[in-house]
Amino acid sequence: MKKIRIHTLLAGLVFAIAFTAGGSLGAQDQKAEAKQEAAKPAEAEAKKDYIMPHVLNGRELLLPSFGHGLEREIELPQWAPIHIGKYTIDLSPTKHVVMLWIAGGLCLLVMLIAGRGAKAAHDAGRPTTGLAAAIEATVLYLRNDVILPNVGHHGERYVPYCLSAFFMILFCNLLGLFPYMATATGNISVTATLAILSFLMIEIAGMRALGAGYINTIVWWPHDLPLAVKLPVTLIMTPVELLGKFTKPFALAMRLFANMTAGHIAVLALIGMVFTFAQLLSYSPASYIAALIPVAMSTAIMALEVFVAFLQSFIFMLLTAVFIGQIRESHH
Amino acid sequence: MRLLKLAVPALGSLALAASPLLAQEHAAVSETAKPGLLTVDGGLMFWTLIVFALIFGVLAKFVFPQILGAVQAREAALLKAIEEAKADRDAAAKLLAEHQAKIEAARGEAQKFIAEGRATAESMKADMLEETRKQQQELLERARRDIESEKVAAIAELRREAVGLAIAAAGKVIEKNLDDAQNKKLVEGYLAGMQ
Repeated sequence: MKKIRIHTLLAGLVFAIAFTAGGSLGAQDQKAEAKQEAAKPAEAEAKKDYIMPHVLNGRELLLPSFGHGLEREIELPQWAPIHIGKYTIDLSPTKHVVMLWIAGGLCLLVMLIAGRGAKAAHDAGRPTTGLAAAIEATVLYLRNDVILPNVGHHGERYVPYCLSAFFMILFCNLLGLFPYMATATGNISVTATLAILSFLMIEIAGMRALGAGYINTIVWWPHDLPLAVKLPVTLIMTPVELLGKFTKPFALAMRLFANMTAGHIAVLALIGMVFTFAQLLSYSPASYIAALIPVAMSTAIMALEVFVAFLQSFIFMLLTAVFIGQIRESHH
Repeated sequence: MRLLKLAVPALGSLALAASPLLAQEHAAVSETAKPGLLTVDGGLMFWTLIVFALIFGVLAKFVFPQILGAVQAREAALLKAIEEAKADRDAAAKLLAEHQAKIEAARGEAQKFIAEGRATAESMKADMLEETRKQQQELLERARRDIESEKVAAIAELRREAVGLAIAAAGKVIEKNLDDAQNKKLVEGYLAGMQ
C-alpha cells in the first residue's frame, strides 16, 4: 500500500513539474498577449500577493460569507497603545491574537471536558472512553515515556509545563488548518515567547538541580586538567557554552515558526497553481482537469500538515524535556 | 561575552539570509506599517504569555491532577508497597537471625543437659556397682562367717558326739576291766592328741 502511495505522489510530482515547465513557456506567450492588450488591472490582479498576507499577522479577520465570494473581512478594533517607560506596547487584538484566544479557549474547553471525563471514569472504577481516553492516553504516554525519562529523577514538577506547552502549541497548529483560521504558532513572536519560557524553565531547572554548581554550565572549568591547559580551554569554551544556552531556545522558536509557516506557504502556492493553470489555459475545460493535480498535491500536503502539527508540538515539548534533563545531569 | 554579542546577530542574520523576504523586512521595519515574517510584536508576545499562563494554570490545577491522579496514586501505592516489603524483609531477616540464635542456644543447652545426664548416669552406675560389690562382699563375708561358725559349732557338736560315742563305745569295751575314771582320762588324752 505504501509503495503505491509513494508512486502516486511521485507521478503527481512529475506531472506538476511538466505542467509548470509548459506553463512557463505558455506564460511568455501570455505576457506578450497581455502587453499587447495592455490590460493593466488584470496584471495587477495577477501580481497581487495572496500568500504572505495569509501567513502574516494582520488587523483584519476572515469570516465565512455566502454573499459575493466565500469570505468577508472584518476590521479588528484598535486600542490605544500602552506606554511603559520609553517602550510602547500595542495590546489591541490582531489576527494572531484572536487565533491565540480561540486556540486557548478550545484547548481549555477540550482539556477540562477530558479531565472531568477521566475523573468520573476513575471514580466509577471503569476505563475512560472517548475524548477523555484519547487525552488520557496522550498525557500518560507523554508523561511516562517522553517527559519523565528525559527530565530524569524527580522530574514530576516539570511535567505540567511540558504538557501545557504541548497542548497549547498543538491547538494553535491545528486551528490554523481550518478554513478562515490562521496559525498563531506561525508567528515568530508567539514561538519566541514560548521558547523564552522554555529557556527560563531550563535554566531554573539547572539552578535547582545544581545549586552553586550551575555556574559550571556557563564557565567551563574542568577540575582534572592542569592550570596551563585549563585557562585557555576555559577562555574558549565559556563563550561556546554561553552561545549553546541561547542557541537552544533560538532553534526551538525558529523550528516551530518555520515549520508552520512553510506548510501554509506550500499549500497556498499549490492552490495558487490552480489559478495559474486556469489563466495559462485561458479558462478552457482542460484547465479544470489540470487543476486536479495541484488540488491533489495540496490535499497531500494538508494531510502532511496535520501530521506536522502534532510532530512540531511534540518536538517542542520533547526538546524542552531533553534540555531540562541535560542541564540537570550536567555535573562537571 | 563579546563573542556572544557578535555570534547571536550573526546566527540570526544567517537565518534571515535564507529568507528572500529580508529586503522586504527591512523596508517594513523602516516604514513600521507592514509587519514582516520576522517582525517581533510586543503585543502578541504579551498575549501569548497571558494565554499560556492561563492554559498552564488551568491545566496544572484542574486537568492534569484529574487525569494523572489515578496514576500518581498507583505509583505512590507501589512505592509504599515496595518500602513496606523492604521493611518486612528486614524484620523477617532480623527475626530469623534471632530464632537461629535461640535455636543455637537451645542446642547448646541440650548438649549440656545430655552431657550432664551422661555424667550423672556414669557416676550413678559407678556408685551402684560399688554398692553392689560392697553388698556382695558383705554377703560373702557374712556367709563365710556363718559357715565358719557353723563349722565351729559342727566340729564342737561332732566332737561332743564323738566323745559321747567314744565314751559309750569305750565304756562298753573297757567296762569290765578298767575303772571308769582312769579310762576316761586316757581316752580324752588320746582325743586331744588327735586334734
